[in-house]
Amino acid sequence: MSPILELHGLTCTYGSLTAVDHVDLTVRPGERHALIGPNGAGKSTLFAAVAGTLPASDGRVMFAGRDVTALPEPERARRGLVRTYQHSSLFLDCSVLDNVALAVQRRHRVAYRFDRPARRFRRTGAEALRHLDAVGLAGRAEEKAAALSHGERRQLEVAMVLATGPGLVMFDEPTAGMSAAETERFVTLMGDLPDDLTVLIVEHDLDVVFRLAGHVTVLHLGRVLASGPPERIRADEAVQRAYLGSARTEDVFIDAGESP
Amino acid sequence: MGTYLVGALNGLAMGSLLFAIALGLSLVFGMMDVLNLAHGAVYLLGAYVAVALLPDGVGLGVFVLAVLAAAAAGAVLGGALAAMTRAIPHHLDQALLTLGVALVVAELLSLVFGNDVHSIAAPAAVGGGVAVFGGTYPVYRLLVIGFGIVLAVAVYLLVERSRLGTVIRATVADRAMVAALGVNTGRVLAGVFAAGAALAAVGGVLAGPILGAQPGLDEKVLLLALVVVVIGGLGSIRGALLGALLIGQVQALGTTLLPQYASFLIFAAMALVLLLRPAGLLPPRTAVRA
Amino acid sequence: MRAGPTRTGTSRDDAPVPPPAKSGIGEAGDRPVSRRAVLLAAAATVLPAAAPLLLGPYPVSTLTRMLAFAVLVLSVDLLTGVTGLPTLGQAAYFGAGAYTAVLVGVHVTADAAVQVLAGLLAGLAAAVVTGWVAVRARGIVFLMLTLAIGESVHQISDTWSALGGSNGLSGMPPISLFGGPSLLAAGFVYWWVLAVAIAVYAAVALVARSPYGRTLRGIRDNEPRMRALGYRTAAARYGVFCLAGAVAGVGGALWAAQARFVSPGDLSFEVAALALLSVVIGGKGSLWGPCLGAALVLLVRDNLSASLGGHGPLLLGLVFIAVVFLMPRGLAGVLGARRRRGSGGPP
Repeated sequence: MSPILELHGLTCTYGSLTAVDHVDLTVRPGERHALIGPNGAGKSTLFAAVAGTLPASDGRVMFAGRDVTALPEPERARRGLVRTYQHSSLFLDCSVLDNVALAVQRRHRVAYRFDRPARRFRRTGAEALRHLDAVGLAGRAEEKAAALSHGERRQLEVAMVLATGPGLVMFDEPTAGMSAAETERFVTLMGDLPDDLTVLIVEHDLDVVFRLAGHVTVLHLGRVLASGPPERIRADEAVQRAYLGSARTEDVFIDAGESP
Repeated sequence: MGTYLVGALNGLAMGSLLFAIALGLSLVFGMMDVLNLAHGAVYLLGAYVAVALLPDGVGLGVFVLAVLAAAAAGAVLGGALAAMTRAIPHHLDQALLTLGVALVVAELLSLVFGNDVHSIAAPAAVGGGVAVFGGTYPVYRLLVIGFGIVLAVAVYLLVERSRLGTVIRATVADRAMVAALGVNTGRVLAGVFAAGAALAAVGGVLAGPILGAQPGLDEKVLLLALVVVVIGGLGSIRGALLGALLIGQVQALGTTLLPQYASFLIFAAMALVLLLRPAGLLPPRTAVRA
Repeated sequence: MRAGPTRTGTSRDDAPVPPPAKSGIGEAGDRPVSRRAVLLAAAATVLPAAAPLLLGPYPVSTLTRMLAFAVLVLSVDLLTGVTGLPTLGQAAYFGAGAYTAVLVGVHVTADAAVQVLAGLLAGLAAAVVTGWVAVRARGIVFLMLTLAIGESVHQISDTWSALGGSNGLSGMPPISLFGGPSLLAAGFVYWWVLAVAIAVYAAVALVARSPYGRTLRGIRDNEPRMRALGYRTAAARYGVFCLAGAVAGVGGALWAAQARFVSPGDLSFEVAALALLSVVIGGKGSLWGPCLGAALVLLVRDNLSASLGGHGPLLLGLVFIAVVFLMPRGLAGVLGARRRRGSGGPP
């Protein structure tokens, strides 16, 4: 099967700092691909460069067989390459329904219509409500997004990103700041995603990573340190060194990996 | 040929004044994202200080006194603006506040000085002309050009060579980081706000013998200063200098060649720069934004 | 298997359907209206319409000006309140509409409908030509650019001899309607301006509640997120800028219909500032609040100014400062909060 996302020598530099250094990466359709690495490994920068939020300094981003390196972020999103943000990024002064409807109406090509009130576009409204229902937020459609809890905002974000009709979704640390119960609900939600959806996920909670991912890539100092199935990554010595050598807070990796 | 060279000199004088005025506007915006819409009113305050203190044919000493008085008045107003804007969280509300202050100050000035057009004489000692390019050119305008040069050098030394300047540049680049390093940004910001306003008021006095003083002048000057800042790059000192020199020339040449379209030329210059260099000609060096 | 970007092939626009009796997915405002709201709406329609029967010509012409100014304020609200783009440049498009209407009135026809249409097109055209400069920025820089555009247009009108320079254009004949006789009585002009203003209000309200309005609110709340959702936000902002220019142009034409005169003062910085002040006083994003603000602001400037020794702007400046400090959400915010408290709803 041909890959849905390919990075060829992707590089991002800020002045003299190279945050992402000639990264090659291949993601196949339907894959659950996790990107992990210690703080400062360049995960967020890589995400931003793939989504088009940041320009790449060098290298190519291929999506669905097409070179999208030169395309701005909205054009990549229109082709089905969408991202979420590390901190919930919602439309807080709009209703919960509006948040999802914004994603739906763009796809329905009615986002620029002003000849009728929005509620008269019933197919858009119904589809938005369906997406809300899928994440368990249908009951709160009329409330302002600002009224949602942290965990609920994450759920709304998932509904929003799925409503864009994506081919590949990139989640940037989706469980950051969640309680254990919220994390559990989120993992269930991810497990229920359609099988044909490709997911690229940056995640600090390695327990979550090893439960969800079918393929793990480890980034260290802007380079790919290792890439493969979870079992192989757990056993990889270079990976463990990178984690142990960088920060005490990453000790959790040892627990999750049950090192020999 | 002589006409054009005289025009160019006029443009240089105008550029010097615009640099003095736009500098504060640009720094205040670059350092704290405050758009000070009262900047034109501060300028007008300076011009009316000149009206009040400078009857015809005064000596240089009195003129310098007027400059100092205007600087003090401008600094006080700038300090007050800094204090008021700090009390408000949103940038739009801050701009609206300065807009309110601009209306109040302009109205108070017209209450005191009336709505007439006041002209201000240059100090007697420099009121004459010198022979330049086969014509005579006012000595006073040459002095204004000299002032512009001195100001540019002084600002360069202050900003590039002093510790205070380092703080100012760093604050433009990344305010949160400077605050995190333990620098009292509040005091620096208030100081820059006051100093910028003082310079604008001084600009009002210096421009007095050229532009006079009248209601509505504050808006024209605010517009010119805004265009200078946009063209040069928000928060950039070198940009303000370049923008001021450019707009000075455009203004002077426009008035010589196409008086009806001078304001259109200025807008066209701004549109052109924004089209080619959206961040301005010399944007400030910013920190890495991840 | 979906290997690539997905696309919904069948998505054509929904056919217009009659509004459901109770739609579960409407906005908050779609809830069944209370009897009090109906009464309020009726009063808000009948009282202004009856004004010429109850008041003398001078107050009626004051009301006419308020309505024309309210249309300008609506255009500012469309940008500032709905889209989150604070503007100080709308007076330029207001002026474009007013100058065009006077020129049409003097040289072409006294028909007020033609003048309004010409004003609309002039405002739209001016916004199309200048808007792309403004929409390159957002937030405070947008404010800066619109101010620069507005002041430039103001100074062009002040120096261009074809537009009468600083004297402006006068000698516009009284308006007529649909080939009828000249409308000399202030009351008839008022009714015409009222009708157009209501139509504009309805149109702006429709835009605000449409999918495009939702797009604009999304841009206001979180533009980077809109880009990540696949929106070309610059185009959306340019679109609303042009719409707002057209609305302001209509306002200018209505202003000219009453004054039968236009001068550079009508598109000065002060007019733009007062329009923005009206939106801030009334409450950003609400539509009726800013209209109320427009009436208040014009009342202070034109009617109370004389009793303040001609220094209404001083009072307005102080009001400006007070509003920013004391009620950042405006009249609509204050009244809305009280109503919500009264009905025991969430704060």
